[in-house]
Amino acid sequence: MTSTRRGRRTRLLAAATAALLLTAACTGGTDDGDDGKDAAAGYDPAAAVTLTWWTGQTSEAEQVAEGLAAEYHAAHPNVTIKTSAGAPTTDDLLTKLSAGFAGGSYPDISYAFGNWAGDLAASGKTQDLTAFVAEKSFAWTEIPEAARTVATSGGKVIGIPALVDNLALIYNKKLFDAAGEAYPSDDWSWEQFRAAAKKLTNPATSTYGTAYSVSGSEDTTWHLWPLLWQHGGKILDGTKPAFNSDAGVKALELLRAMAVDDKSMYLDQTDEKYGPLFNSGHVAMMLSGPWSLLDIKDAKLDYGVAALPGVNGDHQTVSGPDLWVLFDHDDANRAGAARAFIKWLTSAQIDAKWNLKVGNLPLRSAERDTPEFAAYVKEYPGGQKFFDNLANAKQARPTVAGYEVMSRNVGDGIAKVLQGAATPKEALDEAARKSADALEE
Amino acid sequence: MALTFAATPRTPQVVAPRPRGKRGRAARRSLTGWAFAGPATLMVVGLSIFPAVWAFFISRTKWNGIAPATDVGWRNYQRIATDPDAIAAAQHTLVLTVLFVPGSILLGILIAVALNQRIRLIGFYRTCIFVPYVASAAATGILASFVFNPQFGAANEALRRLGLPAQQFLESPGQALIVICLIALWGEVGFCAVIYLAALQDIPRELVEAATVDGAGKWRVFRHITLPELRPVTVFTAIWQTITAMQLFDLIYTTTRGGPMNSTQTVVYYIYELAFQTQRLGYGAAVAYLLFAVTMLLTVGVIWYNRRSGSGAF
Repeated sequence: MTSTRRGRRTRLLAAATAALLLTAACTGGTDDGDDGKDAAAGYDPAAAVTLTWWTGQTSEAEQVAEGLAAEYHAAHPNVTIKTSAGAPTTDDLLTKLSAGFAGGSYPDISYAFGNWAGDLAASGKTQDLTAFVAEKSFAWTEIPEAARTVATSGGKVIGIPALVDNLALIYNKKLFDAAGEAYPSDDWSWEQFRAAAKKLTNPATSTYGTAYSVSGSEDTTWHLWPLLWQHGGKILDGTKPAFNSDAGVKALELLRAMAVDDKSMYLDQTDEKYGPLFNSGHVAMMLSGPWSLLDIKDAKLDYGVAALPGVNGDHQTVSGPDLWVLFDHDDANRAGAARAFIKWLTSAQIDAKWNLKVGNLPLRSAERDTPEFAAYVKEYPGGQKFFDNLANAKQARPTVAGYEVMSRNVGDGIAKVLQGAATPKEALDEAARKSADALEE
Repeated sequence: MALTFAATPRTPQVVAPRPRGKRGRAARRSLTGWAFAGPATLMVVGLSIFPAVWAFFISRTKWNGIAPATDVGWRNYQRIATDPDAIAAAQHTLVLTVLFVPGSILLGILIAVALNQRIRLIGFYRTCIFVPYVASAAATGILASFVFNPQFGAANEALRRLGLPAQQFLESPGQALIVICLIALWGEVGFCAVIYLAALQDIPRELVEAATVDGAGKWRVFRHITLPELRPVTVFTAIWQTITAMQLFDLIYTTTRGGPMNSTQTVVYYIYELAFQTQRLGYGAAVAYLLFAVTMLLTVGVIWYNRRSGSGAF
């Protein structure tokens, strides 16, 4: 009896060892693939290729994407584009991509959130598009600068902006009228914003002047960046956290005063409640982007949009551009075809049929005069203001590996301050200390 | 999940020695055995053991799932000891477990005794108690976050009618964990009640009758017959509910996402946050392994204690 049991144990051990060796092979062994050669060198435009395109879009937008892919195939019969959403939600794309990298089957083109750029660039599987976008015919400078910065990681362009947006002040006209307050203007200061929020707050009807997410996610964090920049601060100094400067403390102190002293700020423990509360008339002003316009329209709310309040006339905002990231498969024809397709997709003519059609801002300044833009502005009255506000997006979030960790720490810090559990200085210093490791490695 | 209870093992099973057959027969028999066990074994090895082993290797690297992994040895494990967030998460898990496990056992016994009465509509009551357990924790969480919404929820409305001050519930760092524990109890107590109900009905009638004949009142019967007979089940429930409490995730995800101010960030939620929110897969795997080790030790400890004191739950 003992001997058979020992035999079984040995066999189990052997199986386990085999499994270990296999797994060890799975985590290691990825070279960074950067051999200094252009991925599309020697590209033959006539070669028959099949591209995989992960759009990261759901239902309606995905159908528009499939239509465009078919249109491209009709014009270029040698290029077949396999179009799919890639993942159930855009958030899941990163997980899907990392699984794809481990398994060696990843797409040619994938949608990606801008804050993934640093991590994706570090994968060594992205194409270097620096020379490609520098060609005059690409008209790279028509795309807003903040978006171009996000597409660039470590000096290399790894993708083409897919979507541009920015934060502005959206307000409920009815609540302002009821309180007898003047509507926000483009040259408001944050003090005016604070005073208006205080007046619009009414505990009896559960109405708040404004709202802020305290979930500690990127949604919490990135709303602070424009305030920090307006005060003259920086997020990073090289790879060292710099947001805990005087500028950062001043920026956060304003939010603290509104949340803790005035109680004019609805603190959302998730990221999902303040939008609906704004739409139902319980929040008078929210700092949000063009993605909110569709829901506001559905709620039939009478609203207006103004640039963010400013510090000494500086009204700069933050942009959260998303990207089309192009991956390298050691196949010049696929790389070249993917570039040609994305160049077509992001051209002023086609982008008007894509971004404007699905309710986003236009990617290129040249689209201002298209009939599609006129139709967009008519459907979403705030659209023009968001488009103009792109000029206020002067700085971008850093595209370094470790940004995600830092964002989480800063978000936790902001949440603590807004709930009265820490002073701005303490919270930002703690976030900087906790993030230093992740940023430097 | 097959659960078997031997409340009072009265007949020890005797396995007759197998007559030795020919070699071919033995091989065929073993093949038949593997044909039954094989598919399930493959599933367990492929979907549980293999990923678990892989996770151990990941736990010794710094890896974000995208860039190549770098080996860091035991550094991830060393970091846990000095990570204030990990320590806070462990405390939250501990508080949750200490509130949840005894709470669900006491409530479970109470409800099971009530449901063991011969009254009309007992089947209906039993169903009612079990329904929350069947509902998914995610649905429970979403419903509860409506009920406990401080501005618009039913809970504050009820407090207001009773003339009590409104509470912040899930939005107060001091109350959120307790509210989550209450929601979890609501969802899980049906399970305990059903287990205890089965155990109560398993208690031999003769024992109760003998005690009654000897002059024992209801309370003394409960104290000296029922409770000792429930002991093996209690050991099982305690372990089971401890594991449930330590692994509670979906409820937290759908109600507070670890907030406010990370006051409901338990170890499991922290692992999710590390691995899938901030892409620190290596460190996340290390914390997961630590949690595994602790759960294992606890379970082994309870089983050992229980075997030593001679009751037969395991």
